[in-house]
Formats: sequence, structure tokens, C-alpha cells
Amino acid sequence: MTVPLLTSYQDWYCPQCKKTDRTRAQTWVHGERASRFHTCPKLRYLLAPMLPATLKAKVEVHEREDYVNGDMVQLDPERGRPIQNMVTTRDNGTDARVFAPTATVK
Amino acid sequence: MAWSASKIFVTFIEDVLENTAAYNLATDAPKCALYNNTPTPDNTVTTANRAFNAGQWATAQEVYDAAEWATGGVVLTSPLSTTAAAVYTYDGTDVVSTGTSATLAAVFGCLVYDDTVAGDYGMCYNYFGGTNSVTDGTFTIVWAGTGIFTITLT
Repeated sequence: MTVPLLTSYQDWYCPQCKKTDRTRAQTWVHGERASRFHTCPKLRYLLAPMLPATLKAKVEVHEREDYVNGDMVQLDPERGRPIQNMVTTRDNGTDARVFAPTATVK
Repeated sequence: MAWSASKIFVTFIEDVLENTAAYNLATDAPKCALYNNTPTPDNTVTTANRAFNAGQWATAQEVYDAAEWATGGVVLTSPLSTTAAAVYTYDGTDVVSTGTSATLAAVFGCLVYDDTVAGDYGMCYNYFGGTNSVTDGTFTIVWAGTGIFTITLT
């Protein structure tokens, strides 16, 4: 008797750059524990989470609201602007990656 | 005044140099506590006033989630204390809320303090540049490539 080997999989997408990917099936956990990240050309080449293909959500980058004021802030690779956070908005919540500046003695 | 920049506490440097407390940044387990826009951080305060739950760092101004970013903060794992040429860098793994359903509102910055040394004295504070929130989600502090704090000796 022949036994088929069934392999389940998970499809991923980025709502910004539309990149897709497929991996072995795994439980998706949102936020930093998301299973899949990519460098997104539509999110200023920052590392951004990929989302399960069935999930409707948006991922946005926000620039720093306040003056840099001499802080060693994190800049986006595309425009060199100070980045404050990257927010994923889902139907039932939000996740945030906050880009902390480096503290100095100045 | 509120937040304006990210700084290392001056008395932290003094206490390290004078061996006032036995800091070992290579192995100590620091914590990151989150704060709203009420504190006016000052890196020239006394040792007592750079401690968690003292001075500007009172818990009344702390932002926390009872289950997933408890009061007192989340542990900074894999601390890394290094030098390269004339630059000292203290770094660690990005700090992530301990679950996936944290709700934190209006987070403006964090206090990084040494939870291993008695006194919970702050080492530095990092200003996020504005308000940050999550609802039923995950909050992550992504440290810069230049570290949590750095000292350039040139």
C-alpha cells in the first residue's frame, strides 16, 4: 500500500511590498515573535514582519516625532530619516517595534 | 520639560570607577522599565535618584502591563560589554514583552537599571522620540547598532 506524505505549509505576505513566501506550517504569533521577517523596500528597507496570507493588517513606519536633539537615533536606510517605530495594526490589536536611540554621556 | 534626549547617568560612571557597587556589566541582569511623558530625566541626579522607583523614576509614572511588561520592567538578556578602538559599547538582545497580548499606552522612554546590584540603580535612559503604544499585542525595544549606551574616549 502506498502512503502519501502530506506536508502542510504556511503562506506569508507583506502588505506593503507584496512579497510572498511559503514555509512549513507553523503557528503564527504576531509581533516580535512573528515567524517571518524580511527587509522591506516599501518600509525604507527596514526589517519588517511578514503576515499570514489570510490576515488583513497593515504595517507602517513612523518617523521620530520630537527633535533629534543630539541623540544617536536610528536612521532608516533609504532616506536617512530618524525612525521612531514600526507598527502592525491588526483587526484585534497592534504591535510595535520601537527604535531606541543609543544613550551617551554628552 | 519631559523627555528630551538619551543619556548615561554621571553617577553611574562615578560609582563604577569608585567601586561603590560591584557592577559587572558582562553578567549582571539589567531591566528595562517603561515610562510615560511625565518624568523629566536628568543624567546629573544623585545615585539615589537614578534608582528605579525613585525621583523621576517613580512607579506612578511607569507604564506597564500587569502580565506582559510587569512593573519593574523586562529583563535585558544577553548583555554585551565590549570595546573597539576608543569606543565602549553596552548592548543586549532586543527587549520584547513577555507575551502577545500586552497593552501599553503612551510610552516615551525607558530606564535601564541594574537589577543584580542592590539598589536597582539606573545606568541610562533612552528616549524613544515620541509616544508609542500597543493594544493586545507585542511591544519590542529595538536597540541601535551602536548599542544601548556608548562611551567614546577620544
